[in-house]
Amino acid sequence: MTNTTILMAEDNPNDEELTLRALRKYNVSNEVVVVRDGQEALDYLFCAGEYASRSANVQPQVILLDINLPKVNGLEVLKRIRADKRTRTLPVVMLTSSAEERDRFAAYENHANSYIRKPVDFDQFTEAVRHLGLYWLVLNQPPPAPRSGNGR
Amino acid sequence: MRTPRTTIRRKLILAIMLTSTTALALAGTALTIHEVTSLRALLARELATRAAILAANSTAALAFQNPEDASQVLAGLRTDPSIVAAALYDARGGVFATYPMGASAPLVPAAAGAMGNRLERASLLVSRPVMEGNRRLGSLFLRSDLRALDERVRAQVMAILVAVLGSMGVALALSAWLQGGIAQPVRILAETAKAVLDRKDYSVRARAVSDDELGVLAEGFNDMLAEIQRRDAELEQRVADRTAALEASNKELEAFSYSVSHDLRAPLRAIDGFSKALLEDCGDKLDQVGTKHLDRVRTATRQMGQLIDDLLNLARISRAELRRERFDLGAVGKEIAAELKRAQPEREGVQFVIAEGMTVVADTQLLRVVLDNLLRNAWKFTAKHPTARIELGQHRDNGHRVFFVTDDGAGFDMAHANLLFAPFQRLHRQSDFEGTGVGLATVQRIIHRHGGQLWADGAVERGASFSFTLSEVKS
Amino acid sequence: MDLLRRLLLGLTLSIAVLCAEGGAAGAEGRMTREYDMKAIFLFQFADFVNWPASTCPDTLTPITIGVLGNDPFGAGLDEVVAGETVGARKLVVRRFRTVEQVDSCHVLFICASEAGRLEHIHAKLMGRSVLTVGETKDFAARYGIVGFDVQRNRLKLRINVAAADSAKLTISSKLLRQAELVASKG
Repeated sequence: MTNTTILMAEDNPNDEELTLRALRKYNVSNEVVVVRDGQEALDYLFCAGEYASRSANVQPQVILLDINLPKVNGLEVLKRIRADKRTRTLPVVMLTSSAEERDRFAAYENHANSYIRKPVDFDQFTEAVRHLGLYWLVLNQPPPAPRSGNGR
Repeated sequence: MRTPRTTIRRKLILAIMLTSTTALALAGTALTIHEVTSLRALLARELATRAAILAANSTAALAFQNPEDASQVLAGLRTDPSIVAAALYDARGGVFATYPMGASAPLVPAAAGAMGNRLERASLLVSRPVMEGNRRLGSLFLRSDLRALDERVRAQVMAILVAVLGSMGVALALSAWLQGGIAQPVRILAETAKAVLDRKDYSVRARAVSDDELGVLAEGFNDMLAEIQRRDAELEQRVADRTAALEASNKELEAFSYSVSHDLRAPLRAIDGFSKALLEDCGDKLDQVGTKHLDRVRTATRQMGQLIDDLLNLARISRAELRRERFDLGAVGKEIAAELKRAQPEREGVQFVIAEGMTVVADTQLLRVVLDNLLRNAWKFTAKHPTARIELGQHRDNGHRVFFVTDDGAGFDMAHANLLFAPFQRLHRQSDFEGTGVGLATVQRIIHRHGGQLWADGAVERGASFSFTLSEVKS
Repeated sequence: MDLLRRLLLGLTLSIAVLCAEGGAAGAEGRMTREYDMKAIFLFQFADFVNWPASTCPDTLTPITIGVLGNDPFGAGLDEVVAGETVGARKLVVRRFRTVEQVDSCHVLFICASEAGRLEHIHAKLMGRSVLTVGETKDFAARYGIVGFDVQRNRLKLRINVAAADSAKLTISSKLLRQAELVASKG
């Protein structure tokens, strides 16, 4: 079943606020679920912890993943997503302050779909979010939902 | 370490052999000379005795004019093969009798000659008077063949020669045995030194084999090796310590730049973002002054963002591994020029002059950074002139290729040239020309990493020229 | 001495008288030369014969060469002897007319003129240490000790060793080697 939720893993409330603001500015009406650390992101995706009642069949349309996350960092979260057959087809966009080659390399090695560096300039930032929303939510065709699921 | 052409062993044997052989040869020669002279003396004595007997026996024959008897007396010489001829002369010196019968000159003189002994070729000649009482009746002549003597001498010399050769053989055997005491320790020492050099193994030790100076030498050698080994270990430990310290500080530095890129930028983004939010959300509550202040906040924020990026870049360039390849510097220059023109198409008065055939072997990415900085600078500092000429070229100086980027823009005061390449140092006011002051520091670091030099020439309002060299590496 | 005696019996040696020019010379010349040789021989005997001490009381006693009869030497013998010595002894020549005149004498040449009185002379000199030299045939065997014999131009010696012995004379074996040794006859 197709879902239009955006999962955003972001521990910095300023960045969270700015991202949401940018999304709103361009009339992205999709539901945005915000998690504050890597563990929470994983709980959400695999319906554990406080998200235990959630159905794993319903997964976000795109995941915006920061690298510098508390508890479990973004790259580790990406690895787990790609390791599980329920989540491995989900589009993951790394949205981070890091411009380190090391991080970029690790992200693509773990099959991130995109890597976007958060610009300091808010105008550029909103422009980036606009492109992101336009591309992943409108232009991009998500993979088909997994056929077999449980807890229907 | 080379292998010695000759060995001490051989030299010692040679020395011993030379000494003993010379001594033997000298002794042999002396012995031979002594033999020859004593044999000659003996022969002369024998001959004198024989002559005396013959003379005594032939007095009557001479006195009573009896040549037959004289001949018979002389014929007694047959028993001695070494006497080849003899003659008796009468008182007047005429031949009286000869041996062998009928012998004549040159075997025997035709007339009596001077008395005494005389050597003639291979013969010893003896002449003596024949006396009866005190009356001289005539004289006797004897010719003795020295070949017999020579034969004896030859036999003696042969014996001595055999003795010398035999002694040499014994000396050779002895010297081969004796040299071991000297050559063996030296050889062991040489082998040890070679082993140390070949294997770079300082744990090798020379076996101590003798209690003489060579033993002391070997001990000293071993002590030296121990000292080297100790220092090696010390040095290795020090290098390991330093390396560990360096690695630690490198890691710290990496962690630092990582956190700078993440954590320093996030607040800036917030400052800029919420300034914008403020403008958007509460714009109606702000007057023109307030809006202008917020604009300044945002400009400063962006500058700081750029500064952080430049610093990170500088750090990255210092760490990055060089990947040298062959490429044309001019082609890269043209791409950058085109980029600059595209970004500011209104600056039609700027002319780029880029030379052909500037093939270098260097890190393409880093050299692109260099050219980007230099050309962008030139572009920037000619912005206030309606027309400008920016040149990228090369020339040869002292056999080295020198690349340069020259413009005819704002230039700089050579008095401050030393500040050009220091990070954050700027020669122009921010309000005149934008920039972080990190660009030329980055350029310099890249050039240095390529083993080259970077320098600048310029004058205020008469342009600037940046030149650099690259260590030529064949790829 | 037995050995010597046998040798004396067996040996006859000739002495060359070098008369290469003898054929061309006259009889007189030949004779002169013969007696020159004989004079030399007489002189040489002094070297090869020992006389008993009684005949020579001291070392300076001259050796006397006597000539008995008609002297055939002329001045020849005197010339040969002149100035010569044997050891410290001088040599003197004395001439005797008769055997009775002969008092002290070591070598006595008996001339051919005495041929008829040889028996008498021999008897007179018996027991005296005088080396008698003659030139007649059989002189050595019958009347004296040494005989001259001219054969084929060479002067040869005959010596009677027994006679010498009885005269108490010692003749050098070297001299004996040059002579034909003869035994006493009659």
